[in-house]
Amino acid sequence: MNDILLKVEGLRAGIEGKEILKGVDLTIRRGEIHAVMGPNGAGKSTLSAVLAGKPQFNVTDGTVEFMGRDLLSMSPEERSWAGLFLSFQYPVEIPGVTITNFMKTAVNSHRKGKGLEPLKAGDFLKMMREKMEFVQMRPEFAKREVNVGFSGGEKKRNEIFQMAMFDPMLAILDETDSGLDVDALRIVANGVNALHTPENAAIVITHYQRLLDYIVPDVVHVLKDGRIVKTAGRELVAAIEENGYDSL
Amino acid sequence: MDVHNTVTVPAGQSFNKIYIAGNEEALPGKIVVEKDAKAEIVILSMPGTEYECSLEVVLAGRGASADIAGAYVCGHDEKIRISVDMRHEVPDCTSRQLFKGIAGGHSSVDFYGKITVVKDAQHTEAYQENHNILISDYAKVNTKPQLEIYADDVKCSHGATIGRLNEEEQFYMRSRGISLEDARVLQMISFLSPVLGTISDPELHGQKTAELEEAVRSIVKAI
Repeated sequence: MNDILLKVEGLRAGIEGKEILKGVDLTIRRGEIHAVMGPNGAGKSTLSAVLAGKPQFNVTDGTVEFMGRDLLSMSPEERSWAGLFLSFQYPVEIPGVTITNFMKTAVNSHRKGKGLEPLKAGDFLKMMREKMEFVQMRPEFAKREVNVGFSGGEKKRNEIFQMAMFDPMLAILDETDSGLDVDALRIVANGVNALHTPENAAIVITHYQRLLDYIVPDVVHVLKDGRIVKTAGRELVAAIEENGYDSL
Repeated sequence: MDVHNTVTVPAGQSFNKIYIAGNEEALPGKIVVEKDAKAEIVILSMPGTEYECSLEVVLAGRGASADIAGAYVCGHDEKIRISVDMRHEVPDCTSRQLFKGIAGGHSSVDFYGKITVVKDAQHTEAYQENHNILISDYAKVNTKPQLEIYADDVKCSHGATIGRLNEEEQFYMRSRGISLEDARVLQMISFLSPVLGTISDPELHGQKTAELEEAVRSIVKAI
């Protein structure tokens, strides 16, 4: 079995004519957790947005293979159906749409994408309850409007709840630690760790070491000015914390 | 204005009604709200309906309040003309107007909303909002809010916007596997939900939400 989940080669991308990713190479295998670290403006969020298919970004060169498929030719929703998940740095608020309604639409879209019938209401609600419990979200959140009036921690917990609902092959966590206190950070990290299996993989994008104390990466990359300038084991995290990004 | 077409809400009472554009029961031309009385009106216009209405609301007794909300969904060549004339004639009254709509196809929407606060109508609170989403390059929206305030101790505001569906929201939903079409439906429901939120009866609220969702779904396919 081919254990490569994601293979990014020579990826160049930008927005409004400005090139941000200037040739990124990245290979991710099943069972691995990768950290992508880097200073502000290095292109970390662009990388996650491009992998998830955000339409505003233009890919100008390079290839991305996800489980043997050409990721760049797929729509954002097709990427989700194929098993890619992006946890947003700034989850979007959707007034007037409850989490239950949102997730029902999303779960049934996934099923439709796979040629399956919609989930029975009872089965869906049971699944919601289980996954909410898993990230310690109170049951009343099911009736709340998506992310409206949520604290930073509640928004991120909602992201990990959704990740648990989809059980993705590759999860990209974009600055999941931003705006979290230690308790929220621990809950989110525990969720990510519990969902990690030898079959799937995760990319943890972060500026700081903090999150990586809880989600321990196998491989650490440093992204700087649109390129991966260094790749090493987890010992790189401590080196960055001590010497900063300038030394790289 | 047809004089027979006036509804008076007597002191202390409330008048609560949902009007569906194109239905037999037409919106009154004028509503007079007396002391401590309440008027709560919701107007809904579904795709394929031509609609023109002109409503004058007079807050005529202290403590009177009026909530006028409306939603319109256009995806063909509808013409919508809504005119509301909110008159605060005595002190201590409150009015809220909230109109939201979606203009697609070759539709055209005109919203004209006026708030008048006479000189003696102190402690008035009057709010008016009209927000629109254009989903076609051929649809047109004209919105014209107007305030005439002669009292000096009042809280009044108005806001009017014409925008497009937010792409950040769309991407968030699509990244969860929701198709572009379904994302647009959710966005429009989300946009219109504050109008539906003014329907206090839960059963009616659910029913009208379902009807609007169906209406929105019918016009999304044409985008």
